[in-house]
Amino acid sequence: MKNINPKAITIKKALCPFCSYGCEFGVIYDDFGIKGVEYAKDGSSGGRLCPRGSAAAMYLNHPRRLAVPMKDGKPVAWAKMKKDLTKVFGSPKSTAVTFDRNVTPEEYAAIIGFCEKVGIENIASTYFEPESHLEPFLDESFDVSNLQKTQLVVILGDPFNQTPMVSQAIIDWKLKDRKNGLIVIDSLHTHTAGFADQFLRVNVGTEPLLLFALAQKNFEGIDATKVTGIDRAIIKDVSRRIKDSKNSIVFACLSFGHTYDPALCAEGISELEGYGRMKIVPLVEFAGYEGNKGFGSIMEMAKKKKIKYLVNFGELFPFYYPQVAPDLKNLEMYATSTLKHSGYTMVPVPLTLEKEGTVYTSFGKKKLLGGIEPPSGARSIEEIIGPLSGGSGKGKQLSVPDHKLDIKERARRISEATLVKGKGLRLMGEKIAFNFLGFFEEASLKMNPADAMELNIASNDIVKVTSKQGVEHMTVRLTEDVSQGVVTVPAETPGARKLFEYDIDTDLRSVNFIPTEVKICREE
Amino acid sequence: MQRRIVLDLDLCCGCRSCEAACKAAFKGEARIRHGDIAGAAYLPLACKHCKQPLCLASCPVEAITKDEKTGLVIRSAMVCIGCKSCAFACPFGVIDAPLVRHISQKCSLCADREGGPRCVAACSSGALQWLSDDEIKRHEIGMRMVSKDLFFRRKA
Repeated sequence: MKNINPKAITIKKALCPFCSYGCEFGVIYDDFGIKGVEYAKDGSSGGRLCPRGSAAAMYLNHPRRLAVPMKDGKPVAWAKMKKDLTKVFGSPKSTAVTFDRNVTPEEYAAIIGFCEKVGIENIASTYFEPESHLEPFLDESFDVSNLQKTQLVVILGDPFNQTPMVSQAIIDWKLKDRKNGLIVIDSLHTHTAGFADQFLRVNVGTEPLLLFALAQKNFEGIDATKVTGIDRAIIKDVSRRIKDSKNSIVFACLSFGHTYDPALCAEGISELEGYGRMKIVPLVEFAGYEGNKGFGSIMEMAKKKKIKYLVNFGELFPFYYPQVAPDLKNLEMYATSTLKHSGYTMVPVPLTLEKEGTVYTSFGKKKLLGGIEPPSGARSIEEIIGPLSGGSGKGKQLSVPDHKLDIKERARRISEATLVKGKGLRLMGEKIAFNFLGFFEEASLKMNPADAMELNIASNDIVKVTSKQGVEHMTVRLTEDVSQGVVTVPAETPGARKLFEYDIDTDLRSVNFIPTEVKICREE
Repeated sequence: MQRRIVLDLDLCCGCRSCEAACKAAFKGEARIRHGDIAGAAYLPLACKHCKQPLCLASCPVEAITKDEKTGLVIRSAMVCIGCKSCAFACPFGVIDAPLVRHISQKCSLCADREGGPRCVAACSSGALQWLSDDEIKRHEIGMRMVSKDLFFRRKA
């Protein structure tokens, strides 16, 4: 009989897999398995962890952790799964391979090498978060200590909620010297905006036009002041401050369902970079990879029945984006996953922190520490595709062919979308680490008190939120942080995400989740 | 030497990492809560481990005791009957009494952890600190806020 010693606690170090900040922490094991997380003082973040990191043990131990392959909601043997995958990869012309996050650079190279070997030509990214448009700005050399060289920081979005680990450096810098100026651009009054000495509250989805206006680039027939809601004198003043400041920095975040055109946002940031000689720091959750085409092209192929199978390597798609499912109904889908979801064929894989190899972080490549055991039924990507191709190969990084963005046309579309008022309320997404997968709190709906009064809704009421994509019941929180005509939900919560509509980018063929018209009524 | 959780409002960015750390450690029941001051600033609310705790005085079954050596005010889960007297008595509103387990949830300053409270360890902006009484006297908490008139701008 095993001698159980309750004091036998071991701590294994791991790298947090839930964003690209690369924090280290300890996973505490006792005789009964994973017990919790320990805050590693000697780690890169000094032991500090955002809510996602604190949830790591809950994730590893989650009752919905996927430990065996599943088909139609029932467990299947690995032998059967291997047989099915052999059939799928046996028809390369009818198969598309996609990936999102939870894929290491080594695994990505193996997948691309495998595709080359078996002749799969349709490869795309299914990481649809708008932040993927910021990846070109990623620079391994950036360190938060660079803040000390500047007296002006511009923040786009809400990093204090989205990537809280960056907050200490920015707040310390802000409080150090009275001359240090912090400008925040957002359509919501967020925690980050609370720290700003100048907050530019733009109309929903018009951030790109403000960025261009700050860079002194105006479009014929578009009045930036009218569209963005920011006074002409303020635009002029901020633009001058940016021009006059040396070593100024832009921290950029883009949230799911927050902006109409993330690609144009990235262009606007690029314009500002050139105008003010600014350093751009993208705060992305995942530094991803590209395929050889946009996912919009894969969707069109599926609609025309040009492909029959889709295999996704990662952990989010298609579960995180149920909206796209109707457009893929002609496909037989296989998806690697770490949690159980309903529908599709699921293939269990380890979570990044249970793998060996490296991982991209915002500050360069980091080595994964290994040592955390995955569920016994999970297989690494190497183990899944290796036997199918007679050994793994290594492929090169792919990239979607360059497309020139029609900036004028895109600016015109945003201008039109803003000036034409819709009948319903506009639903926006907020990326909030505390709402990570709904582990700590259910999604609640933020609403302006004036809108609530009109709809006879009080704080803490349960309301039914209806969009073209679905229905969700939520508790209401009244706050003037959101403008009239706008409601917000945390985009980290799967139930809330399903409400957002998407469109396909006209130039890049990528998928964008946009602010969506919703109807709200109180549930009795 | 007694140590306390000290909140520097200058630094709190409202990310709720502290609450998440507490929830993750105590099976989803946070002993630190998150409040906002009239919509002007957000702040975490933890037990102050008062010198003369009203929760202790209000408890009908003596489930709450004060350790004179460490200053800790501790609630015994075995004795607590879930009457919520402590939750009503607490002048800071930091005791939660969820109906699921019928016992009140009260901060124990993570007495089970050597390195001090988890909320302090997790705090992403360094706003929560774990200081001794002497350190608190020397610490200029909130001085930057007053001297720079910063936080009065933090109207949400």
